[in-house]
Amino acid sequence: MAEHPIDEWFMREVLPLEPMLTRFLHRNWRNEAEIGDLRQEAYARVYEAARRERPLLVKPFLFQVTRNLMIDRLRQQSVVSLESMADFDWLNVSDDQPSSENHVAARQELRLLQAALDALPPRCRQVVLMRKVEGLSQKEVAHQMGITVETVENQVAKGMRFLAQALGGRRGAVTAEARRYNLARKPRDAR
Amino acid sequence: MQASQWLAREDRGLTERERHTLDQWLDASVLNRIAYLRLKASWQRADRLAALKVPAPLSMQRKARAPLRSRAVWLIAATLALMLGGSAYLVWRLQADQAYATDVGGMQAVHLADGTRMELNTNTRLHAKVTDTARTVTLESGEAFFDVIHDERRPFVVYAGTRRITDIGTRFSVFRNGDDVRVTVQEGRVRVETLGSASPTAPVLAQAGRVVVAKDNETLVLTKCGKEIAESLSWRSGRLVFTQQTLAEAAEQFNRYNVRQIVVEGNARKIRIGGSFKVDNVDVFVQLLHRGFGLSVNEQGDRIVVSR
Repeated sequence: MAEHPIDEWFMREVLPLEPMLTRFLHRNWRNEAEIGDLRQEAYARVYEAARRERPLLVKPFLFQVTRNLMIDRLRQQSVVSLESMADFDWLNVSDDQPSSENHVAARQELRLLQAALDALPPRCRQVVLMRKVEGLSQKEVAHQMGITVETVENQVAKGMRFLAQALGGRRGAVTAEARRYNLARKPRDAR
Repeated sequence: MQASQWLAREDRGLTERERHTLDQWLDASVLNRIAYLRLKASWQRADRLAALKVPAPLSMQRKARAPLRSRAVWLIAATLALMLGGSAYLVWRLQADQAYATDVGGMQAVHLADGTRMELNTNTRLHAKVTDTARTVTLESGEAFFDVIHDERRPFVVYAGTRRITDIGTRFSVFRNGDDVRVTVQEGRVRVETLGSASPTAPVLAQAGRVVVAKDNETLVLTKCGKEIAESLSWRSGRLVFTQQTLAEAAEQFNRYNVRQIVVEGNARKIRIGGSFKVDNVDVFVQLLHRGFGLSVNEQGDRIVVSR
């Protein structure tokens, strides 16, 4: 694909902050249904801004952008409820707590991934397992499982969405997502 | 087509033409690209799962939690009982006429000798006297909440300016600013009387859910829903709750709790807001006014002037 130079930067510097960002949004935004959407738009703003000039301090920048976005959303509402944001320390922009997300110890990372894998729906889990643990290609997976390559591709797509949700969310988000999926039998559109 | 489908296809291997279409899709919108990068990052992270390959214990067995030993339970219960007994004794100390005060922004809970609990809000002065025959509180200024242990023999009476409020088994708060008195009844009933008036008026009885507003010789009883009562008592947990209040009213509330005073000027006074704030979080409040409504905020010493 046509790699933009900042794609790699974005994946390395911004995306690892996602668990922190998600927690922040859950704490400060009442309507849970809008959180994924808000996060996505915050990312887009950060990405656009970084195209012009990369921020030196990524974390404060991401959170500042998110706050501005929340304010913009509130402005669009007819009655302005400031409730969700009232307790956040707006003036203290630097968010200097040691970022555990950035450098998760390898073992912890593995445990995290394993939990995410365990929470996948059974067939999806098997596909991801063969692809990522056994290192088989999609074609080999299809052959071993006796299913079509298209089915494998669909399961891989689904597995990606689940994993992204699990790795970027709060604890417990994985199972909640899986439960929702199993109930609705309709994968949530991760766009 | 969505990002995960593109990535799954990429994971399988793209043809030249597919790659071209993907590039177009990525360039079409930043949101597409973001979604793509996000999924790609976590899919790459999942490469680490290869470490599980050899023995592959995929689901860890959860250990059953050991049951609490009953001995420990008894120990905790005994300790609790001791602690409760001790504090009850402390509360049950004799109190004569006792003065209490809080500073701006302060709050204080007091247990009176009869078991009644008082909570003093910001900037409040009162004194309380509990004897065998009478219980009286005189509210000099500010606001206090009372959770009264009812006692037929000695009514609980609060004096606030020209008003006398007598409890009839209840939880209520009294606010006083000069001769303006407001009584908010959360539970039970109170009687509000006007003192020393040339033309004595009949006492007003107010039950739970009522707010009595008194000024000079006028006494008004308003009916509020439980939510409104809870909101006007939210200071007890250190919060201010607004529902469709004007900015002028909200600022007035904040100013009770803080030395730095918010002054709202012009037609900004009429803006209606909602929300819940810590009483001492003035900075956040004005910051939100600035960002949320585009109001200008000027700090002049202890005055924060807010205007359009």
